[in-house]
Amino acid sequence: MKGRKILEIGALALASAAVLWAVQRLLVPKYMGRVVEGAFIREYYEEKSPHDIIVLGDCEVYENLSPVVLWREFGITSYIRGSAQQLIAQSYYLLEDTLRHESPEAVILSVSAMQQYEQDNETYNRMTLDGMKWSPSKVGAIRATMMEDEHMAEYVFPLLRFHSRWRELEADDFRYFWEKRKMSHNGYYMRADIRPAGEFPAERRRSSYAFDERAWQYLEKIRTLCQERGITLILMKAPSLYPAWYQQWDQQIRDYAGEHGLLYINCIEKSGDIGIDFSRDTYDGGLHMNVYGAEKMSRYFGNILLDVPGIKDQREEAGEQAMAAEWEEKCRFYDEMKTAQEQEFADKGYLSQFAQ
Amino acid sequence: MEELMEILEDINPEVDYETSQNLVDDGVLTSFELVLLVTQISDAFGVSIPPAWIVPENFNSAAAIMAMITRLEEGE
Amino acid sequence: MLLVSYEFGAFLIILAALYYVVPDRFQWAVLLAFSYLFYARGGVIYLLYPLITTASTCFLARAMGDRTLRFQAWVKEKKPGREEKTAYNRKVKAGQRRLLVLGLVLNFGILTILKYCRFFLENVNAFLGLGGGEGAWGDWILPLGISYYTFQSMGYLIDVYYRKYEPEKSPVRFALFVSFFPQMVAGPISRFDQMRQELYSPHRFQMENIILGARRMLWGYFKKLVVADRLGPAVVVIISSPETYDGIYVLLGMVGYTIWMYADFAGGMDIVLGSAKLFGISLPENFDRPFASKSLGEFWRRWHMTLMLWLREYIFFPVSTSRLAKRVSKPVSKIMGKKAAGKVPVYIATLTVWLVAGIWHGASWNFIAWGLANGVVLLVSQELTGCYRRFHAAFSFGKTRAYEIFQVIRTFFIFAFLEMFEYYSFGTVFAMGKSLLTCWSAGQLFDGRFEALGLSGADLGVLALGVALMVWSGFRKTKEAEKGEHRTFFAGYIAVFGLFLLVVVTGVYGRGYDASQFIYNQF
Repeated sequence: MKGRKILEIGALALASAAVLWAVQRLLVPKYMGRVVEGAFIREYYEEKSPHDIIVLGDCEVYENLSPVVLWREFGITSYIRGSAQQLIAQSYYLLEDTLRHESPEAVILSVSAMQQYEQDNETYNRMTLDGMKWSPSKVGAIRATMMEDEHMAEYVFPLLRFHSRWRELEADDFRYFWEKRKMSHNGYYMRADIRPAGEFPAERRRSSYAFDERAWQYLEKIRTLCQERGITLILMKAPSLYPAWYQQWDQQIRDYAGEHGLLYINCIEKSGDIGIDFSRDTYDGGLHMNVYGAEKMSRYFGNILLDVPGIKDQREEAGEQAMAAEWEEKCRFYDEMKTAQEQEFADKGYLSQFAQ
Repeated sequence: MEELMEILEDINPEVDYETSQNLVDDGVLTSFELVLLVTQISDAFGVSIPPAWIVPENFNSAAAIMAMITRLEEGE
Repeated sequence: MLLVSYEFGAFLIILAALYYVVPDRFQWAVLLAFSYLFYARGGVIYLLYPLITTASTCFLARAMGDRTLRFQAWVKEKKPGREEKTAYNRKVKAGQRRLLVLGLVLNFGILTILKYCRFFLENVNAFLGLGGGEGAWGDWILPLGISYYTFQSMGYLIDVYYRKYEPEKSPVRFALFVSFFPQMVAGPISRFDQMRQELYSPHRFQMENIILGARRMLWGYFKKLVVADRLGPAVVVIISSPETYDGIYVLLGMVGYTIWMYADFAGGMDIVLGSAKLFGISLPENFDRPFASKSLGEFWRRWHMTLMLWLREYIFFPVSTSRLAKRVSKPVSKIMGKKAAGKVPVYIATLTVWLVAGIWHGASWNFIAWGLANGVVLLVSQELTGCYRRFHAAFSFGKTRAYEIFQVIRTFFIFAFLEMFEYYSFGTVFAMGKSLLTCWSAGQLFDGRFEALGLSGADLGVLALGVALMVWSGFRKTKEAEKGEHRTFFAGYIAVFGLFLLVVVTGVYGRGYDASQFIYNQF
């Protein structure tokens, strides 16, 4: 009799947990529509074979480098662990998290996050952190970057954060309840529309050009971790025209790179060498690259990366192996999306998925 | 006792005071009526009821009220 | 610490674990330590006021108790005559009265200075025509729940003065009575003789207490998060702009405000009583289905019950039997006869009670007007009691079910109308009342003003469901009390789990979800 009672209560508890899980699954944002950036961090865990290069940073990485071009033209495997307004502390914990799964030869880190240590928009935190698998790194990332009125409980149970979506559920919430659609190309966010660079407000003078001390600490932690694991660290600044990347900031990074023997590539300076045409290679007027700009960037980086010790063209070696097939599939998906977007842009002059 | 009954009848004629045992606890007597009762008892019997004595136990039945009056008269 | 926070949940779990692990005799001490932790969460400085109240009340009560004991010992030893005894008792009482007054002045003094100083000075300034230093008094540190624990402590002091029970010797133990965390913030105001057993006796772990407590808390969170916090902002819009929201909105405001107040306060009480129950401690109830009342008098015996009991015991009875009341009734007796004079104490005591109740609710003329209006309505209906009795005797429908329903609805609206004194200024109450009666049309609901309240169709649906559940629960409680009906375990679990889901999903808490925030806005 008693055994049966325990069994019943156990079944009831399990059923309750399942219902709660389902409700949560239904109510969390799916990031499969206009806003896709929230899906990127999670997609990494679906990768099957390891990568030579891991790229960390904010929108300045996930819109500016194309892993498919790096593979197709240089035989380099790469993955971008980028997310909207990724903070330097989050980059560090994402690196820790990644190293749990693989050991890349090189890490490219976008330094634009040095200018802002603290998060000023909770939604960016959610888009970066919710996608991470649970590990000490995720807990560390949450603790380090949580805003004042955020709570750990709302990360453990995202339902607590997103419960009020019950009244704005969309078809996507049901469509992607079980299955998810791939939204990125190894973390790359494709945009094939074009909006030429326009006028930007003039650079404003700042009272101080010093980076936050804590930002420096995390940059140092990233560097040390790479050093310990024998990974080459490359610092980059994307070729965006706005917001300003001050000369004083540039100098500090340059000095840091010099001091530790790191390669630092400021793509604003190098935009001539890269061949960026700001009237064609950006989709939002000069803030971010579109696919044409990103491909040029990738070609520029490809040549540099082949010089990194341990990185070589793997295309022939891969031959008929599973990895080659994987990449073939990635290329197909990439080309398909690119063609479709180009077609739509030519027809309509905009991309409906991203239109307001 | 008769005098007390008269006072009680005057306050609320609908109650059967002979049998009721929970005048206060059941809310038969409201606070208003309780105070009217206290004032009239004070006048009629020449005793003064201290606020600490206004508790349900002392007012739940006619007998309890009478017992309280007796105790007061004895000057406890 | 807020009762509605993740922190409070963690606090309860840690406390419960510790509470049921430590030896029985330390359980109360654990509660005390955590109560102070709870209170100090907003700043250690806030502990100062409850500590002063605890220390002063405890020592004064002890001093009074000692005198009573000495008197009793003397009586036992000397076996004095009646006169000798009365004379000595009078002397003892006089001394005790001085201690009582000292305690009352000190503690109500602190309360007055912290809570009412600003109100007082503003009025003096206005009266003298001085330019108001608006805001200059706003920075006083007002500790959480000061009205509640001050009233509770003073009730204790008066009880000891009346020799209702012996005072607590240990100030540390007494401190738990003043600062037991669930009730410190918003009551219930309890009596020491009822709480002594609950607070200090050991409580073994019983699954039943956890289930009852957690269920009660859940129900409280439902009232608070799903109903009150959803309704509140909309009601505030209505009542804070009477110039825009007139006509039918006055009715909506009245009904909405009443439901809001109930859901907020009674919900809070469910959380308080439920969390005390987790530790096996039963606190006195503060609400007993007040909206089933058939008169305003009954309503006030079922709404905020512990405050009303306090006022009855420590203001109503003492004032009505006071020398002042007698002195005033004497000349009345000469002019209007004995019967009218008998009512004088009731009148004085009622108006005093409601004046205090008004001031208690807040330092403003609104609350004073609200309190006095309640007092007046209660007195009028008391005067009409005779008429009602004759009416019921003459017409038989006075006993029918329909008439009872009429009484219940009437009581709701009398209460709701009186609440208007709380949120409108005195003159506005009548202007709005007039507006409701004269320019009334259902069309006003569709002229755009309703939309500005920020309640979507979904919100209204949830509110309707919430109110329906509250009403239904009231009926169920009545039925349970009458017939002792209970659900099976399985049905009970499904009901609780459903309620939990409802709270988690439709509760108003945390950051709202605004899809536009999730659009990556380029920077």
